[in-house]
Amino acid sequence: MNILLLLPALILIFIVFVIPIVRYYWLSIHASSVMTGLIPVPNNGSNWLRILSDDRFWQDLFQTLRFTFTSVTIEILLAIVIALLLNQKFQGRGIIRAISLLPWALPTTIMALGWRWIFNTPYGPIEQIFTLLGIGTINILSNPHLAWIATVIADVWKTTPFIMIILLAGLQTIPSDLYEAFKLEGGTEIQSFFKITFPLLQPYLIISILFRIAQAFGVFDLIQVMTGGGPANSTESLGLYAYINSMRFLDFGYSATIIFLTFIILIGFCILGWLLISQSKRFLSSEI
Amino acid sequence: MSNKALKLFFILILISFFTSIKSRSASFKTKRINILMPAPFAESTKPLVDDFNKKEKGLIKLRVTKGPLETEAVSDLAISSLLLGKSPFDVILIDVTWLPKYAAAGWLEPMDKWINTENWHSLANGARLGNTYNNQIYRWPLVADMGLLYWRTDLLEKPPKTPEELIEVSLNLKRKGLITYGYVWQGRQYEGLSCVFLEVLNAFGGEWLSKESKQINLKSKESNNAAKWLKELITSGASPSSVTNFSETESLQAFETGQAALMRNWPYAWAELQKETSLVKGKVGVTTMVSKNGISPTATLGSWGFSILKSSSNKDAAYKAIEFLTSVESQKKLFLINGYTPTKKIVFKDKELKRTAPLITVLEKALSISKPRPQTPLYAQISNVLQTQLSTILTNQITPEKGMALAHEKSQKIISSASIKR
Amino acid sequence: MKRNTILIIILLLWSLSPFLWQVYTSFSTTTSILKPFSFIEHKWTLQNYIKVIESNPPFWRYLLNSAIVGSTSTILTLFLAIPASYAISKSNNHQRKITKIFLFLTSLFPYVLLFLSLLEMARKLNIGNNLLALSIPYSALSLPLAILLLSSAFQDLPNDIEEAARIEGLGLVQRMKWILFPLIAPATASTAIIIFLFSWNEYPIALTWISKSEMITLPVAIARIAGSSVFSVPYGAYAAATVLGAVPLMIIVLLFQKQIISGLTQGAIKG
Repeated sequence: MNILLLLPALILIFIVFVIPIVRYYWLSIHASSVMTGLIPVPNNGSNWLRILSDDRFWQDLFQTLRFTFTSVTIEILLAIVIALLLNQKFQGRGIIRAISLLPWALPTTIMALGWRWIFNTPYGPIEQIFTLLGIGTINILSNPHLAWIATVIADVWKTTPFIMIILLAGLQTIPSDLYEAFKLEGGTEIQSFFKITFPLLQPYLIISILFRIAQAFGVFDLIQVMTGGGPANSTESLGLYAYINSMRFLDFGYSATIIFLTFIILIGFCILGWLLISQSKRFLSSEI
Repeated sequence: MSNKALKLFFILILISFFTSIKSRSASFKTKRINILMPAPFAESTKPLVDDFNKKEKGLIKLRVTKGPLETEAVSDLAISSLLLGKSPFDVILIDVTWLPKYAAAGWLEPMDKWINTENWHSLANGARLGNTYNNQIYRWPLVADMGLLYWRTDLLEKPPKTPEELIEVSLNLKRKGLITYGYVWQGRQYEGLSCVFLEVLNAFGGEWLSKESKQINLKSKESNNAAKWLKELITSGASPSSVTNFSETESLQAFETGQAALMRNWPYAWAELQKETSLVKGKVGVTTMVSKNGISPTATLGSWGFSILKSSSNKDAAYKAIEFLTSVESQKKLFLINGYTPTKKIVFKDKELKRTAPLITVLEKALSISKPRPQTPLYAQISNVLQTQLSTILTNQITPEKGMALAHEKSQKIISSASIKR
Repeated sequence: MKRNTILIIILLLWSLSPFLWQVYTSFSTTTSILKPFSFIEHKWTLQNYIKVIESNPPFWRYLLNSAIVGSTSTILTLFLAIPASYAISKSNNHQRKITKIFLFLTSLFPYVLLFLSLLEMARKLNIGNNLLALSIPYSALSLPLAILLLSSAFQDLPNDIEEAARIEGLGLVQRMKWILFPLIAPATASTAIIIFLFSWNEYPIALTWISKSEMITLPVAIARIAGSSVFSVPYGAYAAATVLGAVPLMIIVLLFQKQIISGLTQGAIKG
């Protein structure tokens, strides 16, 4: 009887998560494009040959990884600071928590549009301030070396609150007598962070890092609305490239190949991350 | 609380059911036609659509869906509706570059059965281009569109004719402190950049896709020179470095506020520049793009036209609507009010128009020298490759020669791999 | 203490200023938008809002669409997740662990990558352009997290209450209705709000599943409005649209902050 209660949910999850992956593999060994009349025709793995020499794919992979690691690192560090700050007792803590949660709750497209305007040249506030200060324009969104930083800033703004709340939850599980005992033994505040807070916060950090890496790896909304992948494809992510290949170039076989390879790479990174974490755990526990 | 929330949920669901039922039921007698147009066209054709609906007295009900402003976003929307099936649209106003792709995908209805030879020859010379695929007509043009050079009559005596001259006058005016920007154009990595480049490429005597062999022809002296010149615009200061993030909107904004002396843009800009909000009203001239001595200038053709979808259930009524919207009367109105370039010969010959709007002679000339972009279903990909390389060149990441060679190889790869598939 | 006050002010500025800039822009006239830091006459206007509200279809329609999708997805998800969570909480440790790890992994999946296949499904099943159908993928995407949250809530319930009810002769449905459901109501509320927020904000699937302009959801509408004003830099209207789109969510967050925070928190602790 139990399984009957579980089954509907599992079936739906299966349809939406598992079938697509199988379908992508199947499509990746077919040509299905405007030249074949959008009908899948087996093409002996030529999509796979093409993707291996497709600079744009590898460039996007690099960019996606760069985006992921920069933004997740900054988000985690900021989130730790903010969580420590909001974990203290002060008046109006509830409302401040709620306000700091707002960026996370807004639709990504809304604020991607907002950030596009903030970084606009020459009318956005950032450029205006730079001009007023006499620094001149930096033109961040049209500079292929810098534009990705703008997307990282927007992403940090948007998702730090999410990690912060998870870490806050972690902080609240740490009993305060631990700190008091540590203080009595003569430990400083900084020491207590590394000896008590950090180790006890670790599971929460791991969860949020894993979750954020996977989500940032699939970044799409933010980039599509903020830069459209430009300038010079310098902010394009793998998700966006797959989207463009199917919705703009009508090359579904190739799009599916991109998605499937992205999926495999992501699994690779998750396994790698898992190994690293479990190694460092062993290392840390042997330290203590 | 939760009880109230639950009630609210149910009310919302009921509303959504109700609205979906309502919209389904009314469509028995009247033939409903839904046209997807990019936002500016949806706005400008509104009076015509109202006229048509009045004229048809409810037999045909024409509705326009206002799409996004940016060309590629409209295409995304059109394609996503077509891929989804049961497209809500009967007719789509499509860009000249989409036609081969849409036709090859089998989404469009051939229009030969409605259009006879006489009809076909009523179109002006440049306007006939880009409406066919595999010798069938798939599109009927609403408005011709081509790249123009706008210049400030209060700052310049005559517009520059050659690429060298253009840089020179821009720098001169900048030096005098009369303007901040010089020449503004579309340098963002998007379709507009391909259009700009095609004109410059032709101005230097090159071509993108060779007409005879259907092969990419970007690894040439001409295309290197064209790319070099675009880059020189920025390095010399004739154009601002932010031009690499300019689309039509930003270019117009800079020109309209009097910050630039020259602008490459489409005919729509003329009407915008005549508005009260424009700071350069009455100080603007229009001409065709510059070109090297001895080479005739060209204008990239960017025309928009109506295509009927195969999935439409009211194709004859749809054609009736198209006929009305593209009629001589409609074209006159669209030209006078919105500055849309007509597509029919007769309209260009109209004496009254020539008198009230001398611009039309410039447009006629520009249309006659216009060139479509490569007509292949893979255009989006090869244009993307070109935009990518141009953008890397303009932002100083690669030399023009290397960039053009890469663009050549990559486009060639796309074309040849696609031909094997066939 | 002083240091903290400064930090909190910085935090508030950081969180709010991008939004406040939108508000500022949305009330500015076109000329003052171009010179945001100077003082000029006719600086303020409501024109941008009027433009957005008078657009066709009217802006509230997008809010309504998002609200419909949000509510139906929430209901459908809870409808599937509650029995599933109950089943998981009653199964043995080994099974529970495996199911939970599976659910955790699926909740990690960057769902953007599903768009192509989901689009194919929508076409095959003929359910494109249907707001109610959109709640099917949304439910599927929310289910892993919802089940994780709710099954921990079930696990936390003391077994004897349900046991006593069973001895009294109450069947499963009755026990659900009279005992279990009220007890997990707080967890359900948190879960519901998180699902609602997700469905309200979701973009790539809504983008590919809906093409009728009167049916698009708020995030898609915003992305579309971004490109749909006619010529001249239309940021005033953009900004007004972003503000109008953000306000309902801000109200939701401020009203339900406790539930949202406890939902996310529970997810982190128990997941």
